[in-house]
Amino acid sequence: MEKPPGRAESDGSSCSSSFSDDLEPEWLDSVQKNGELFYLELSEDEEEALIQDRSEAHAVNHVRFRENEAEIIQEGSRKERKYEPRLKKFTKILKKKSLLPKPSGKKGNTGCNGHSSGPTSILKHQSTQKMGVTVQQKYKDVCVYVNPKRLSYTSGGREHLRLLETLVGIVHQSSWSTRRAEKQGQDKSIKGISEEKLVVHGLVPGSSAMKTGQILIGDALIAVNDVDVNSENIERVLSCIPDPMQVKLTFETSVFEPEGTSQQKYKQAQSSMNNLVKLLWGEDNTDLQLAIQGVPHIVMYLTLKLDSETSKDEQEILYQYPISEASQKLKSVRGIFLTLCDILENVTGAHIISSSLFLSGKVVQVVYWKESDKLLVVGLPAESVPLSQLRNMIVDVVRTLKFMYHSLDSAFCQVENVSRLDHFFNLFFQRAIQPVRLNSNTSPSAHHYDTYSALLLDSLPGVCWLTLPQEVKMEIDTALSDLEAADFAELSEDYFDMRRLYMILGSCLFYKGYLIANHLPKEDLIDIALYGRHYCLLPLAAEQRIGQLVIWREVFPHHHMQQCEASSATGYREPEARYFLLIVGLRHFMLCVLLEAGGCTSKAIGNPGPDCIYVDQVKATILQLEGIDSNIEERLDSPSVPLLSCADWFLPASRDRLDSFSNPPILSKLQNTSKTATSPTSMRTLFGDYSLRTRKLSPSRIGGASDSGCEEPEESGGLNPHATQDQVTKKKHTLPNPFNLGNLKKNLSEKNTELYNAVKLTSGPENTLFHYLSLETMQGIFITPTHKEVAHLSGSLHPQLIKNFHRCCLSIRSIFQQTIMKEKKKREGIGSSSLPSKANSDLDLVREHGILFECSPDNWTDQKKPPPTMTYWVVGRLFLHPKPQEFYVCFHDSVTEVAVELAFKLSFGLAI
Amino acid sequence: MFGSNLDVALTAARTEGTRVLWRAFHESITLIVISSEEGASDFTLSRLLDNVFSVMVLVLGLEELANIRNVERLKKDLRACYKLIDSFLMPGERTGDLTHCVECVLVPCSTILQVPHRLLTFQLLPGLDICLLCGPSPSLEAVETELVPQFWKPLLEPLRACARPPSVPLHPGVLAYLLINHEQKRSLSAVLPRGVQAEGPALPLGSCASVLRAFYALVVSHYFPCDGSPVPPLELPLGGGSHSAQHCYVVSAGYKAYAAQAPPHQLFLLLAPEVPTFALRPLATHILQYLVGDAAF
Repeated sequence: MEKPPGRAESDGSSCSSSFSDDLEPEWLDSVQKNGELFYLELSEDEEEALIQDRSEAHAVNHVRFRENEAEIIQEGSRKERKYEPRLKKFTKILKKKSLLPKPSGKKGNTGCNGHSSGPTSILKHQSTQKMGVTVQQKYKDVCVYVNPKRLSYTSGGREHLRLLETLVGIVHQSSWSTRRAEKQGQDKSIKGISEEKLVVHGLVPGSSAMKTGQILIGDALIAVNDVDVNSENIERVLSCIPDPMQVKLTFETSVFEPEGTSQQKYKQAQSSMNNLVKLLWGEDNTDLQLAIQGVPHIVMYLTLKLDSETSKDEQEILYQYPISEASQKLKSVRGIFLTLCDILENVTGAHIISSSLFLSGKVVQVVYWKESDKLLVVGLPAESVPLSQLRNMIVDVVRTLKFMYHSLDSAFCQVENVSRLDHFFNLFFQRAIQPVRLNSNTSPSAHHYDTYSALLLDSLPGVCWLTLPQEVKMEIDTALSDLEAADFAELSEDYFDMRRLYMILGSCLFYKGYLIANHLPKEDLIDIALYGRHYCLLPLAAEQRIGQLVIWREVFPHHHMQQCEASSATGYREPEARYFLLIVGLRHFMLCVLLEAGGCTSKAIGNPGPDCIYVDQVKATILQLEGIDSNIEERLDSPSVPLLSCADWFLPASRDRLDSFSNPPILSKLQNTSKTATSPTSMRTLFGDYSLRTRKLSPSRIGGASDSGCEEPEESGGLNPHATQDQVTKKKHTLPNPFNLGNLKKNLSEKNTELYNAVKLTSGPENTLFHYLSLETMQGIFITPTHKEVAHLSGSLHPQLIKNFHRCCLSIRSIFQQTIMKEKKKREGIGSSSLPSKANSDLDLVREHGILFECSPDNWTDQKKPPPTMTYWVVGRLFLHPKPQEFYVCFHDSVTEVAVELAFKLSFGLAI
Repeated sequence: MFGSNLDVALTAARTEGTRVLWRAFHESITLIVISSEEGASDFTLSRLLDNVFSVMVLVLGLEELANIRNVERLKKDLRACYKLIDSFLMPGERTGDLTHCVECVLVPCSTILQVPHRLLTFQLLPGLDICLLCGPSPSLEAVETELVPQFWKPLLEPLRACARPPSVPLHPGVLAYLLINHEQKRSLSAVLPRGVQAEGPALPLGSCASVLRAFYALVVSHYFPCDGSPVPPLELPLGGGSHSAQHCYVVSAGYKAYAAQAPPHQLFLLLAPEVPTFALRPLATHILQYLVGDAAF
């Protein structure tokens, strides 16, 4: 089987240098000219404790990923980077003082020679080789089409190895491998510095070398048309090619045959992580691309100010992605977008928000974001993303881009950002159009979380929070606080009487994509979460995949930037500082740290790269917390804190089956609880005048009388729907009286109450709760059952129910958003005088919205009887004060719930 | 419309607080509606466009509109529609324009009308008209002076009783209701005057109807998809597969609204905010049962 070029690093397994002593951190090479770093390394073998067991050699796939690979290739030849990261100066100082031997050995950073690695490769092959691997050298011939005519615009052979890169598309960085060789002395391929073997370090995207799919990173080019080549003569040889032609390239390729089955394991792991990781690496993932190629989608950044004198074609397009046939059509009608924007603003006096088009049989929604004289346009088909959602998405995109680049203009109007944005929007559209393919498809809960779940959860202004036992939480908080104090003892700048480089504003810790601790203000947390969401970092950490993740970049937090601009009112001024985001991931943990430079610390000059000391301290914090992951896993494995029921249990027919089944753990627990907690029913007639003859029925439908419960619903499931409703209404006598709750609690012993509150959210003798979602905008978090909890409740109906729940939440939430918007407007006082309907505008604010669904099993074969039905509510509740809080719940309709009560129970029960 | 030469049809656009809808009919006439009403949705505006075009067809005939010969003349002819179109722009308490069902009053017996060429309307009482669809004869005068009194005079008293909306004894919390029979394409609706016991903030009577209309549009476009809905699928209908929505409610500061469906009937209720939320469902079930069963709608 031929591997795609980008996969090559899997063969090029090498020992992890990340934790060996006295080595510069392996990510150092990946730091870009502007100081940014996005380094992702995957641990292949999930079983082996890579980090603790440092002495052994493990198979690690080393991958260096750059956000702007295309740009690097151009830039790489221009200039060597001028800056020398300050951390290096720092480590030099340390080295001189011979302070560097570190207790753990992990902080060891030999001062590297300040060598600015020309960032040439996309994916670098580690030339060091893994122990316990047999290496065979093989030769292969690859035919490549080259066209020297296309080179006219480039500077030709001005730079070393320029032709190899521009003509063929092979990236070779001589100095890099030389340096490696010097350091590790292992690279057998080095013959001499002057006559270095031409190892493929990277492939230029879209180049002919890339297109063949046969050239692997790590291969060494030894001959061109049977002429032996090395670094010395390659340029001369290539410059002899006069016309477009096919050339035969001969490569020496290393075939690794790993011992044991790691190869096989890798394959398995690969299939599940393929898509997301491939995308993150920025590989040319044709499979994923093809899948969405036919779907019309586009993002464009247009300028409204046109220079009429130099009228060029498409000059109004400042940025555009993707360039495919389906999007071509959307691009060609950009005139409509511009005209609409202009006309509607003239007519209505407000910016255009969205429009709908009918394009080749599909409804395409287009959303707009207008800022000064620029217009950002995002278009997606309505079947992929509902309009209300798309509007949230563009807001998130804008916020993330501003977080990363300060303003839309600086993001879109700089040439070197183009490839970064391409990557950003590639991820964006993949997430929007086929979110399920991106997430791991091996996990059993995957089918519960379909497109709508992803759409909903991705658009919430918050992060999924995992509640933890108090003592675990304490431990985490302590560790984070220690880090934030930045007291690095002899490693700290204070020790050398230097001014601090950075102040740590706060940090937040994720485990498997769940937020488990946060020491950041809400706005900053959301900014970071959005960044993580757009780069799919959270699902990435959900699987055990991260060998090491280091992200460093300058950021522009919304919150701090805003205060800078309008601070005079409060008297407090945010310092004129620069902010940096550092994300370090190890295994399932991901720790995000927000740093400030220039406030009380020294000013940041130029584009500082990541500082080894800070990276190592963050890493050390995670390592310190390694021990708690068993506690967290335990929490993830245990059933949900508010107990959940499975929808299938409530089908009359399935009850018989259920009885014969050995009691499922959750159900038995459920039955126990319903025994301990006395039934909180209070006989209360509904609306005396209008209620029907209330008739006492057995209050229990599952817990107590599973055998008798079978007959009733079948009777009522007859043809006359009114009869069903009638019956249901009659059962309403188990209605909880919210005003009597006090009495109820008095009656229960204190312990029972506690138990009751802890495990059951719904009222009534049975647990009727199917699913919930609580969004606390105050903290910027939301709480929902974990994937694992949902996976416990397998069934045929339940997954559908959850899917429907999420779809409903989307629609309910869009109504709530209107309310929030109106409320905001009202507070701002806009339009208070002009609208005559002002009086009812606040009467119009929707606070609660519920839908009752009826469902029946899909595969009902018995034709004599109608299929059994189950009815359930999906209810959303919005609290505007003191801070907006949203709450969605899905429960069986046998008990009437008071949504407010449920919401309070949930948010108070979960001590955040 | 622009974009048509590129095979792209623009259907809708939205700004903060304003919606615009385009629709081309028979490739000859394009109607554009712009609305900044609070309760406007794509569903209501789409229905409005349908209605306006239907008005034009009613007055001018489809042939005239599909093959326009003289635009200036057509413009002149269209003036005849203005009044009718205005009535759709100011719907008041009526809902037929939205539901596309015949609005009825509760009467003990109903008569079947014959097939028609003329539409004649006569006001019997304020708010109560009879519509006659009849052929070329008899003459308008004959109908007005002879036939109408002959048939309707004996029924004037019972009709007078029907004309008052609160002919149905309902819970005092009910502000307005709309009942639709989809099989027979009939609807029954009323906005009920509030009793004196009402407290707190309440919707003015006039806005009850518009709130109910907005609620109807929300529910029908999201949860109770009805056959032959003219709305392009701008929003995704919910509850696919074997999960179908039965009831739905909305609670806001000034009102509560509840919708229930029991084929072929759909009931939409607007209730006072004092009515407890948990009581909405039994109340709606009861009213539906009463109207369909006892009142024999």
